[in-house]
Amino acid sequence: MPVYYLEIIVVVLGLVMLMADAFVKLEDKRNIAWFAVLVLSVVFLLLFKVSWPESTEGSPFWKFYDAEKGSRGFSLFFKGIAVLTTIIVLIMSAEFRGVLLKYTAKPEDGAHPQSGLSEFFTLPVFACAGLMWMASANNLASIFVSLEAVTITFYILVAYMRRNVGSLEAGVKYLILGALSTGFLVYGFTWLFGVTGTMDLAGIKEQLALDSVNVTAALFAFALIIVALGFKVGAAPFQNWIPDVYQGAPTPITAFLSVASKAAGFIVLLRISGCFFGSGDLSEKVGAVFVVLAILTLLFGNLAALPQTNFKRLLAYSSIAHAGFLLMALASPITLVADGKEPPLLDTSIGVIAFYLGAYLLMTLLAFLVMTAVRNQQEDDSLEGYAGLAKRSPFLAFSLLVSMASLAGVPLTAGFFGKFFVFKLAIQNGACGWLIAAGVIGAAAGFYYYFKVIASMFWNAPAEGNDGPIPVSMPAKVVMVLLIIAIFAVGIVPNLILGLIK
Amino acid sequence: MPSSLEILVFLPILAALAIGFGAPARFTAIGAAIINLGIGLVAAKSYNVNIEGGAVFQLESSRVLLESPKLALAFGVDGMSLILMLLTVIVTLAAVWASPAESKIKGSPKLYYISSLLIAAGALGAFLSTDLFFLYAFHELALIPTFLMIGMYGHGKNRKRTAWTITIYLGVGSLILLAGLIALFVNIGQNDTFSIAEMIVRAQDSETMIPEATQSWIYLLLLVGFGVLVSLFPFHSWAPDAYADAPTPISMLHAGVLKKFGLYGLIRIAGPMLPAGAEKWMNLVLVLLLGNIIILGLVTIAQKRLDRMIGMSSVMHMGYVFLGVVAGGTIGISGAVLLMFAHGVSIALLFALAGSLRERFGSLEFDKLGGGLGKLVPKLGLLFGFAAFASIGLPGFANFAAEVMIFFGAFQPMEANAPLSFLQWAAIISLWGVVISAVYMLRAFRKIFKGPLTTTETPKDMSWNERVPALLLIVSLMLVGFYPEILLKYLRPALESLTLIGS
Amino acid sequence: MSQDYTPVLIQIVIASGFAVATLIASVMLGKRAMRNTVKDSAYECGMNPTGEGQARFSVKFYLVAMLFVLFDIEVVFLYPWAVVFRENVANAPVYFWGMLGFVFVLFIAYLYALKKGALEWKS
Repeated sequence: MPVYYLEIIVVVLGLVMLMADAFVKLEDKRNIAWFAVLVLSVVFLLLFKVSWPESTEGSPFWKFYDAEKGSRGFSLFFKGIAVLTTIIVLIMSAEFRGVLLKYTAKPEDGAHPQSGLSEFFTLPVFACAGLMWMASANNLASIFVSLEAVTITFYILVAYMRRNVGSLEAGVKYLILGALSTGFLVYGFTWLFGVTGTMDLAGIKEQLALDSVNVTAALFAFALIIVALGFKVGAAPFQNWIPDVYQGAPTPITAFLSVASKAAGFIVLLRISGCFFGSGDLSEKVGAVFVVLAILTLLFGNLAALPQTNFKRLLAYSSIAHAGFLLMALASPITLVADGKEPPLLDTSIGVIAFYLGAYLLMTLLAFLVMTAVRNQQEDDSLEGYAGLAKRSPFLAFSLLVSMASLAGVPLTAGFFGKFFVFKLAIQNGACGWLIAAGVIGAAAGFYYYFKVIASMFWNAPAEGNDGPIPVSMPAKVVMVLLIIAIFAVGIVPNLILGLIK
Repeated sequence: MPSSLEILVFLPILAALAIGFGAPARFTAIGAAIINLGIGLVAAKSYNVNIEGGAVFQLESSRVLLESPKLALAFGVDGMSLILMLLTVIVTLAAVWASPAESKIKGSPKLYYISSLLIAAGALGAFLSTDLFFLYAFHELALIPTFLMIGMYGHGKNRKRTAWTITIYLGVGSLILLAGLIALFVNIGQNDTFSIAEMIVRAQDSETMIPEATQSWIYLLLLVGFGVLVSLFPFHSWAPDAYADAPTPISMLHAGVLKKFGLYGLIRIAGPMLPAGAEKWMNLVLVLLLGNIIILGLVTIAQKRLDRMIGMSSVMHMGYVFLGVVAGGTIGISGAVLLMFAHGVSIALLFALAGSLRERFGSLEFDKLGGGLGKLVPKLGLLFGFAAFASIGLPGFANFAAEVMIFFGAFQPMEANAPLSFLQWAAIISLWGVVISAVYMLRAFRKIFKGPLTTTETPKDMSWNERVPALLLIVSLMLVGFYPEILLKYLRPALESLTLIGS
Repeated sequence: MSQDYTPVLIQIVIASGFAVATLIASVMLGKRAMRNTVKDSAYECGMNPTGEGQARFSVKFYLVAMLFVLFDIEVVFLYPWAVVFRENVANAPVYFWGMLGFVFVLFIAYLYALKKGALEWKS
């Protein structure tokens, strides 16, 4: 099956869901979500069955959709991340419906008691299609369109709980800053086009490597693009929106933002920075920018997370911190292999970043699943609410323990391999000492704030009147168990993820 | 089919899982520890001591997880890891057995036993791994159980602070260590293998060995990293509080077994792979170890609580092991490894007995305990006397044999009529440490067990659940003390091969 | 190269100059202190002004306006498609079906809006 059918299937799925909501009378709208989960699971399996075109010559389509031999594996891997995240987010959304409907549906007006729920399931599917395309976008135009398809969907989703002030505030902030960053992106793209005369990434790379290239203008284009993409991935100093938006958005959407949106940002960042790393003169300066960004992000994300008392906000800072580690991998200049051989996967930035994102997906989604379940029982996401979770629900406490351990980078979990590979790449490629020191400081700070959650769950007794057991629905439970197993399995056998990138 | 060493490492983990799913906690944990002791003894029995050079690790098993760089879940033993493995299985059994009965644990007894088992598994994995990555990774398995146990079941008001201190301190230490290990890995050869044996071969090949300047800073990173884990002066401040506040089995496992990982790493990794670095920083290590022995020895004397005193003494004794490591040579290293075993067993014994005391009298402050308890609990007093003598290093206990070897080792490279080197001066100063430990140990023993009785409580003497682990530990100590060859024979072939000592 | 932009510069100067000049002229030529309530009030063809200056209107306008823009874009795309790909549409069916797919997606959206009552004025 041709690879682009996957995106088509996902878009059609979204349309079918819309129509189903409009025309089919459903008692329980969660059925729409289950249907989507089923189809997306099939799509996920189809990822292993795709076929690629013999030649990309002739059809203009392949100018917008990457089919290079070298990057096929990565495209599929990132598509897989998008699909998997969407599946889990849908299950999480079904779990979250109680909270959501409180702020959306108005049954007293005679509307369906679950009105507004099905769109909450449908929009992530459309975003998923955008993310999948983004994984293969190899042209400034297609990068922009796919990126906007995702971002605009997120504008709606973040502000979805329209009777909740926090959600609205988050929506407005995200909209305004997102639009600003889009402006930077487009401006950067136009400059890049002006410098190179082409929209095609391969062509841009070729042009930038020429001696005649206008270095100042190219760097200006890069600066504009890095502002926009830095915003998308949450790199300091463009990270300001993250804590507020993450805290205000509905929890499943926060999960979606922090995993899929970040992954997508990094693919684009990798692709575009790859063009600049092709030329010696530019690559040095671009590399220096990444080093500075990585140091700032590592220090800010990790240190600002220390005093947080709200769990959701803590995870927001943690997502900044992880962006820092990912940037650290990106900042380590790519090793050039002399005899033209492919370097080993783990000696390349893209290989390490892909692995890290895969591991990050597992542990972050697990944390958000637990948060969704707990949020059903209590009003807020403060850390105090997690006191005594070990007594209220040993299963949830254990899940969160695993997730936090992995996020902190305790060995034998997936998160440790992620950090390990990043550090290995940085030291191996002779990254500057400050960057490594910032990484060590960041990882050490991580021990504190992730363990704070563990301490709260296990050491403290539950608060008065908030000590009942916490029910978890069956699908969520199954997903959590699978994620826990995956975290440990990947923590011992990293090939489980690396093998997927082929 | 898993190899015997794989079973050894994963059995405690499986037992912990079984407990998590509802198996009876104490029964399962003790069962797993006994089986592990059996496997450990069988493995020791099947270890070929007459091997001539060449083959390094025995009973090897390897499962390749990653091709490039080569990463394998690989286990194997040589003489040193065999001895530490035996130490681990012995102390684990004692620690699990000495844990309070399920009904006496406030909170979840499951978690209590699971934590002990996980720490044991981590220590076994670290000592038996022949792959640099897993050597590091397994050690960290203890991080979360320790954190949870001290915070949940620890003693004293400060237990939460203590839990944070040990976690952050060890976390930072391991990160520095990780940076050092990665630097080591990157600089050796083509950075394509984590196999320790291969790395040592490359590090000692004059073509692929690391340049001296690089060795120097990597060694410093490793020294700080391992030094934190093993509470080398001045990175020791986490240890006494942690041991004093932790629940008894955790103190036993941590002070007895897990702490030895830092020394093990220095002997196994840093020594053979960075010989020039080791030489360069030798004097620094000597100064620091004197800090351990003399300064911390004096601090130990000033302690007012038994558990803190034992914790400090365990930190202090690490100085001798370092002395053996620095002295090098067959005798020095043998003495160091032997002392690691002896100290591990004796400190576990002391913590177990201190735990018994605390359970009976509620406090371990010398003033509150009063004196004359020997009349109330004679068996406890007798065993404590044995433990104190062992810890001081009286003949007949393993500690004595080990310390003698270390001091001999320090003087061995000396030539006739040559002036004393810094190493030998350090050894002479360290000898005073023996006096210091005699002072605090005997004083503690006299204060608690001799003299007029002041307390009005009438507790029972030791139950069998307390006696069995204590006897197990004492018997191992005396066995090795009277007949050190029982362990030394394993060390000899290993010392001759290149896993332990550079060229 | 900079000469190409001279007309732009002139345009900027004229535009800002006109605005500034008008303001200055109105201050200099206009008679001051000839103000009263009647003069300051809004001019409503001789009627007395009533109600708010910014009247609130139904959110439905907003909804319809946005839907209009969306479907308008459809037309905006159709024109260049028809003009630029004239030849291709005739020769390669993929160009034809591609556009049809685009229209189909928007049609679904239209159906959805219709069914959800976005275009209903009452209720």
